[in-house]
Amino acid sequence: MDIEKIEKKALSELEKLDSLDEVKKFEKKYLGNGGKVSEVFKSISKAPEKKRADLGKKANSLKNRLGKGIERKQKELRESAKKEMKRSFDVTLPGKETGLGHIHPLTSVLRSLCNIFEGMGFSVVRGPDIENSWYNFDALNFPKEHPARDMQDTLFIKQEEDLPSEERLLMRTHTSPVQIRYMEKNQPPVKIVVPGRVYRNETTDASHEINFYQLEGLMVDREISVANFKAVITSLIDKFFTGDVDVRLRPSFFPFTEPSFEVDMSCTVCNQEGCSVCSQTGWIEVLGAGMVHPNVLKNSGLNPKNWQGFAFGMGIDRMAMIKYGIEDVRLFYSGDLRFLNQF
Amino acid sequence: MKFSYNWLNSFFKEDLPQPEKLAEKLMMHFFEVEGVEKKGDDFLLDIDILPSRASDCFSHLGVAGEIAVILEKKVNFPEIESDDGDLESVKVEVENNQLCPRYVLRVIDGIKVGETPEFIKKRLEICGLQSVNNIVDITNYVMLEMGQPLHSFDGEKIAEDKIIVRNAEPGEKIETLDDDKYKLDESVLVIADEEKPIGIAGIKGGKGSEVEEETSLIYLEAANFEAKTIRRTSKKLKLRTDASARFEQGLDPELAEKASKRAAQLFEEYAGGKTVGRVDFYPQKRKPGKLKLSLSNLKSVLGTDIDKARVKSILKRLRLNPKVENDSVKVTVPTGRNDLQLEEDLIEEVGRVYGYENIDPKVPRAALTGPETNYDIFWEDRARDVFKSLGYNEVYNYSFINVKTKKLFGFNDNLIEMENPVSKEYQFLRPSLIPGLIKNVKDNEKKFRNINIFEIGKVFGKENEEKRKLSGLKTTDFRDLKGDMDVLLERLGVGKASYKTIENKKSFWSRELAEVKVKQETVGLVGKISKDFLKGMKIESQIFLFQIDMDQLAALASEKKQYERISRFPTAVRDLSALVPKRINYEEFVSVAENAGGELLVDVDLFDLYEGEKIPEEKKNFGIRLFFQAEDKTLSKEEINELLEKIISTLEKKSGWEVRKK
Repeated sequence: MDIEKIEKKALSELEKLDSLDEVKKFEKKYLGNGGKVSEVFKSISKAPEKKRADLGKKANSLKNRLGKGIERKQKELRESAKKEMKRSFDVTLPGKETGLGHIHPLTSVLRSLCNIFEGMGFSVVRGPDIENSWYNFDALNFPKEHPARDMQDTLFIKQEEDLPSEERLLMRTHTSPVQIRYMEKNQPPVKIVVPGRVYRNETTDASHEINFYQLEGLMVDREISVANFKAVITSLIDKFFTGDVDVRLRPSFFPFTEPSFEVDMSCTVCNQEGCSVCSQTGWIEVLGAGMVHPNVLKNSGLNPKNWQGFAFGMGIDRMAMIKYGIEDVRLFYSGDLRFLNQF
Repeated sequence: MKFSYNWLNSFFKEDLPQPEKLAEKLMMHFFEVEGVEKKGDDFLLDIDILPSRASDCFSHLGVAGEIAVILEKKVNFPEIESDDGDLESVKVEVENNQLCPRYVLRVIDGIKVGETPEFIKKRLEICGLQSVNNIVDITNYVMLEMGQPLHSFDGEKIAEDKIIVRNAEPGEKIETLDDDKYKLDESVLVIADEEKPIGIAGIKGGKGSEVEEETSLIYLEAANFEAKTIRRTSKKLKLRTDASARFEQGLDPELAEKASKRAAQLFEEYAGGKTVGRVDFYPQKRKPGKLKLSLSNLKSVLGTDIDKARVKSILKRLRLNPKVENDSVKVTVPTGRNDLQLEEDLIEEVGRVYGYENIDPKVPRAALTGPETNYDIFWEDRARDVFKSLGYNEVYNYSFINVKTKKLFGFNDNLIEMENPVSKEYQFLRPSLIPGLIKNVKDNEKKFRNINIFEIGKVFGKENEEKRKLSGLKTTDFRDLKGDMDVLLERLGVGKASYKTIENKKSFWSRELAEVKVKQETVGLVGKISKDFLKGMKIESQIFLFQIDMDQLAALASEKKQYERISRFPTAVRDLSALVPKRINYEEFVSVAENAGGELLVDVDLFDLYEGEKIPEEKKNFGIRLFFQAEDKTLSKEEINELLEKIISTLEKKSGWEVRKK
């Protein structure tokens, strides 16, 4: 019996095994009772005495080596089984829904705008949705014949009595009446922003709604200037759109400010390359503003000789549309969960 | 308003910048250019002239004047000199010179009606006007050039050679050149001869006095009408024309004679007409205004220091004839600039011409005072965050409802109605957030299994009162919703609420309806929407809904928190279940157990509620878990069992109550 041959054969056999079960069988076959190795030991007794000691040594070393081989193989198989286990952990299975809800995008936009302004020391105040013509128009220096006062632009409330025009009730068309309401009760320095829902008699489409949101701003003190307005509004737009946004002022006209401007920001969608959001101009109109008209100060009980400042108004829906790339303003008021779930 | 680039260019010696470049300049210093469009060899510029400059810039000359100011160029106005003699043979009678401050009637003879020269045709076309004949085209041309609407009458057709400007008789009728018939009233100003109205002043000419092919004698009207009258009439008759659009902005009466003479020159050149003479009714000549601009005010408002010479040069280019005196500039305001009335108006002129882009931003100097917290908003936001954490979606619905919703929900009284609703869908202001939320379920239930939504918004009631409400709904079950309410009230620091069933006054609620009370104050309602009601609306989901008064909630809310010491000693837990008659409510049941348990029974949880086949029909089973704990020691098994026995025996003393120990 050639012990070396047996060992060679056994080890190559062992090498090919790929399960712990097979290794167990192998162990039984060679090292078990009546196994190959015990046969070798048995055969030693039949061998010539001279050779027995040598054969005994060889048989023992065979036993040891096979034993070690088996241990090694078992370890190897166990490790690969562990690896296999790791592979069977499927990290790509979908996570379970947490059931967290969603805040309306207009709330989020209003919050972040108000936070930015509060950071600059502006207080957030609000006013009524139902206004009278005095606060909505007259006090804001709208001429009596101004077309904004027409039925086709402004929603009026049905009233029994025949009231003087200034007392006629309507749904406020902008948040500007709160300028007057606030200045009537608070002496400058005034530093406020006014968020709120406003209303227009408008045929609705992708960019027009009958109710929408505005944020009004007002800062009045001894020496507030156009340069100050530029600093405040640039800081706001930079922070809100979190980037380096360019801001420009263009001349415009509003009854309640003089001078008046339109404020544009550089288009963040196309980096001023030209796209549909900015109508290929590279600029997006974001708000109307100006220096508070002396008549507005007067109508609020302030002396325009002593006080001056800026006011501005921006459409919140529009800001949200720019920020999130929303193409239809009506989605905000649709209650469509497929839309709201995205915010 | 549409402008021809070539036409504007024709007023300048040197060529203007390319149309896009010009548009850019106008945009930054004048008004927005909404479009630049190539039209043949010309360009159409669509400039959004805002009301402040409508009185002088609804014209190519007006805009050319602005371009001259902005680009520092010299503009060549057409030369117009009036040397025509006054006529005696034709009479103009104006009844009220408030309504018609000026009326120039020019008599032109020898007219040959015919083709219009090509350059005029082209320019009209760019501006959107169709060529008719040389007479009509020339009057339109002068209107587009100078901003003064003109009208030509056939002189032969004017009865008694007399033009009367008067208010219409009540019920008086007129047929316009477009064959439209109008019934007039006293508020309408008409142009008439001795027999009948021959035109609606400032808006449209009448049929019967118009220029026709064989006309040779023209009475050319160049008038000035009160803006308000024209605007009102135009609105009332729903008749808006190029003329009315200009008159309703308030034109400069000085313009009338110039434009009339300009047209006469063109008639002579292109229609063979010779001016016979004119009548100029102009009792009160408009005088240029005076204004003063303080340079220190200019600096203070713009926040930048503009050189005195620069200010003067800007004002000079604006044709305001500036005179500098120390710290101020005195200017003369041309009659056409009725937008310049205050010092602030001059500051704007200097600012925009100087360029707002040249003003560097400056952070305002202000006292270092923080903003005041707006607690209304603070608590609304807190409530929103609570509901978001609870898995609700925030919705915004319209502030309006229609008459169908009003009836369906039984909102009969005190709804605020719009005088001029956008449509019937939006006729009333919403008195409640509920209809909107229920509609949201209807719109979403096919796509989403469970719907949890809420809204915070204003509702409107009698006496035009506005209230803030917080309302929300779930489609799962009542206890789920009640649990959310409890979390809300706890997180707003309002404390524990009690719930009391009430009668449903509105049919959309089911019988499962309760008031939410905090410290004796009713702050809202929770309940289930009636099955039949939902069926009627074709909604399949169940709806559990709450409504809370946000103002009351904010008043009760508090940020105060008081730490309670945590006992060092262990809590012992025991379960028991009890069969009780169905009419016994949980609060009643648990208060018996709590009273018996005393202060060592620190908490009780309901973990099971069973009604059904396994127990008698008239009974229900409460499974509760009792928590025992002492502040000062570990409770022994004996003490706990003694307490438990006491609770059980107390419960079992009630007739029909039966405890099953666990």
